[in-house]
Amino acid sequence: MSFKKKFTPKRKFCKFCAHKDYPLDYKRPDILRDFINERGKIIARRITGTCAKHQRRLTTEIKRSRQMALLLYTAVHSSEVQKKMG
Amino acid sequence: MRKYETLVLLNPEMPAETSQALIGSLTGIVERENGQILTVDDWGMKDLAYPVRKRMRGHYVRLEFIAQGNTVAELERNIRINDGIYKFITVQLDEDYVAVVAEPATAEAAAAPAPVEPAAAEPAAAEPVAAEPVVAEPAPAEPAVAEPAAEGGES
Repeated sequence: MSFKKKFTPKRKFCKFCAHKDYPLDYKRPDILRDFINERGKIIARRITGTCAKHQRRLTTEIKRSRQMALLLYTAVHSSEVQKKMG
Repeated sequence: MRKYETLVLLNPEMPAETSQALIGSLTGIVERENGQILTVDDWGMKDLAYPVRKRMRGHYVRLEFIAQGNTVAELERNIRINDGIYKFITVQLDEDYVAVVAEPATAEAAAAPAPVEPAAAEPAAAEPVAAEPVVAEPAPAEPAVAEPAAEGGES
């Protein structure tokens, strides 16, 4: 198990805890975009390092943002897929 | 009385006078129900993340107000009737909420909450004169965001 010692990943931290004035708001899709992948899926807490409290709020804010078309639901829309196929 | 915020997405092809009148009518509803409009924040035209009614652009307007719960229901009922409004969301805000988007409007509202009251007495006083389409502006103290975080998930 020597490979474990070779690579120590950087310690993850919750960005919203570290910076209290870092806005967690559905009106800031630019910030929320860091917490979704390129397909528009919400990234798991274990990967981003967000704490449980903030991840709960984060998901709500992302979903609100999606509702208002500020953030994407999906990068690959089914209608586009059909167009490509047909 | 609670503090609420409504964000509406308007038809991008709506003429400016029509949208002004529309926002005026919405503020009128809140004031008629003894509410108090705090800010009318016009974001202007923005690109949408996905097409809404086959259009990729939209006009966002944010209303911040203090009102009773049933005022929200009345406001949303009117929003649903109007066909110039494509999308809307109403969120209850914290009492000490400061707007994250439009900095100029915030400074005004936070620094002087009292002067807003006389203005609210006459209808359509606090109207969309907020012509600054300042949208997502300087991120306050943006920490090193670009992390390995983004590459998570399956592709």
